[in-house]
Amino acid sequence: MTSRELLAVALLLAPALTAAAVALVSPGLVERVAFAGALVTGGLAFALAAVALGDPNGSVVGTWIVVDPAAGLLVGVIGLVGLASVLVSPAFLSSARSSLVPANRSERLYFVLLYCFWAILLAVPLAGNLGAAWLLVEATTAASALLVGFSGKGRALEAGWKYLILTSLGLGVALLGVVLLAAGVPGGGLGALSWHALTTYSAAESGALVAYLLLLAGLAAKIGFAPVHNWLPDAHAEAPPPVSALLSAALLPAVLVVVWRCEQALAPVIGARTAQSVLIAFGLVSLLVAVPFLWQAMAWKRLLAYSSLEHMGVLALGIGFATPLAIAGAVIHVVGHAIAKALGFYAATPLLAHDSRAGGHEVTGIGRTRPALGASMGLSLGALSGLPPSPLFVSEVLIVAGGFEAGRSWAAAAAAVLLSLGFLGLAHALLETTVGKAHRREAGRLPGLRGLRILAAVSLVLLLVLAAAGFWLPDTALVDALRRGIS
Amino acid sequence: MGLVVVTVRRRSVAVGFLTAQALVLVGVALHQATSGADVVAAVVLAARAIALAALFYALVARTRESRPVRASVAPLGRAGAAVTLALVLTWLVPTIGLASRNAERGVIALVAFGMVAVAVRRATLFQIMGVVLVENGLALAALELPGVSSLAIEIGVALDLTLVVLVAAVFHERIFAEFGSGDSAALRTLRD
Repeated sequence: MTSRELLAVALLLAPALTAAAVALVSPGLVERVAFAGALVTGGLAFALAAVALGDPNGSVVGTWIVVDPAAGLLVGVIGLVGLASVLVSPAFLSSARSSLVPANRSERLYFVLLYCFWAILLAVPLAGNLGAAWLLVEATTAASALLVGFSGKGRALEAGWKYLILTSLGLGVALLGVVLLAAGVPGGGLGALSWHALTTYSAAESGALVAYLLLLAGLAAKIGFAPVHNWLPDAHAEAPPPVSALLSAALLPAVLVVVWRCEQALAPVIGARTAQSVLIAFGLVSLLVAVPFLWQAMAWKRLLAYSSLEHMGVLALGIGFATPLAIAGAVIHVVGHAIAKALGFYAATPLLAHDSRAGGHEVTGIGRTRPALGASMGLSLGALSGLPPSPLFVSEVLIVAGGFEAGRSWAAAAAAVLLSLGFLGLAHALLETTVGKAHRREAGRLPGLRGLRILAAVSLVLLLVLAAAGFWLPDTALVDALRRGIS
Repeated sequence: MGLVVVTVRRRSVAVGFLTAQALVLVGVALHQATSGADVVAAVVLAARAIALAALFYALVARTRESRPVRASVAPLGRAGAAVTLALVLTWLVPTIGLASRNAERGVIALVAFGMVAVAVRRATLFQIMGVVLVENGLALAALELPGVSSLAIEIGVALDLTLVVLVAAVFHERIFAEFGSGDSAALRTLRD
């Protein structure tokens, strides 16, 4: 086993062991153990990401574990969002009024589920074969559905139920695609599903195309691509805010990496242009569906959820265009979206304490009544809208330019128009949220506001650094390695 | 047997047919077994079938409906929709490389029946059974693969499905407790 594989195994063990420890320790120690586990897991994730991204040509590709730049990128993002989600969770738990279990057990159950979810999420981009990747993606559903319905309220149960049934059904369709691919690769068994072996698919080309479409259609339900996104706004809106952050900023791109690996593995069989065109179509449809909702006045978390639909569409376009500019844009977009979106969801905990109607209605004038909270929400929404100098502005420009570079002028032009419309919708929401008409609200101490201030400051620095990275990233070995995939 | 899950009114009858279907798959797996790993895979399928049957019957007993949850479409309409979707999918999907064309048709039909069960049945327990129906179809596909299948993946799929059904069972009970019925029609408040 190489040092990279050992680091990957240690990374997967850390959250799993923390989940076990949280389940066993006395109630007074649950939070401390959770914090300690988060620091260890986060540290290991950053170490693995640094190793994988620092030497992009030194990938390790095994039957079970892959440590390549794509895995490094996602592990870094999932580690960052997971760490922040654990740290902000006590503020959420202190303000939670109900849960699936009695109050004296809710903190323990919450952290056990959160760590199980985090552990499985970290494993998804490291999966060395399609079969294991599918199993892990399906396993994220079980852990995260309970977290979505954690409050036990009717709306949360509805959201959790929709999420569980729709994504399970979608993953069933994806599994059919996996079975078809396994049937067409010589040798059979687990080896037939390794990322390398999929390139040797030798049955009819139409079979590979059908399998690819089934895989994409099934996984699209999990990523939240339109038109199979129905669960996404409900689950993101009803889940506890730290969980919403993990769902949007970590789960969706992690599953997208599985799709990317499938696209790269099957491109030699079905043709790179065909494989990429399907992704571009999903991207454009997702943008088309998301934009009208970004123009509507809606509850804060629901607005962020529809923004996830838009941003997954942008990422699909980046991967689909596949030029150096577009891939560099996708890299910046994954990280920038994760930071901005997580901050937005974390702001929901103090927001709901400040204005109890915010769970079901749009909020306005937060910057007037609570400047620090308004500034955090403004930073999140400004970055997500693509307002310069947001890194998402840089990434979207790179992706659209990449589309023209790839000779897909119509798709790039359509994306540019849709992104502009999306920007206008979110910019309007940004103005209303921060400096719109203020209402009478709770004036007392808000849970999680102090931590949110720190996170907002850190996020601001990270977002600016990321925006600057856009200028040199396209010509780097990292982007080259990402374009090659597991070759 | 798959069509029964789509059409029958009583939940316990549907569970019986779903379990019988899973046990038929176990029989097929044992019949085709050529190695120890194949026998282990069949045993895993059998364990899954029995565990799910026990769970479903426990759920039926613990969440007695005061009156049956009526689907929005009549039984004949549901059967028609299921058969139509199965025929359309069979026509659309080209040969997929399983051992026989009949096996391919069986797989596609089960996937179609499962989807229709989830889409048109309002009872939450029937929706879970629809997901299991789809997975039974995929288990059949794995059994009918001409090459060597992976024991690790088959065990993983069985465990994953059991886990998902367990979580769905928790939701079913909580929905029953919250709304007084396992009727998914009550779950329609979140809309834009």
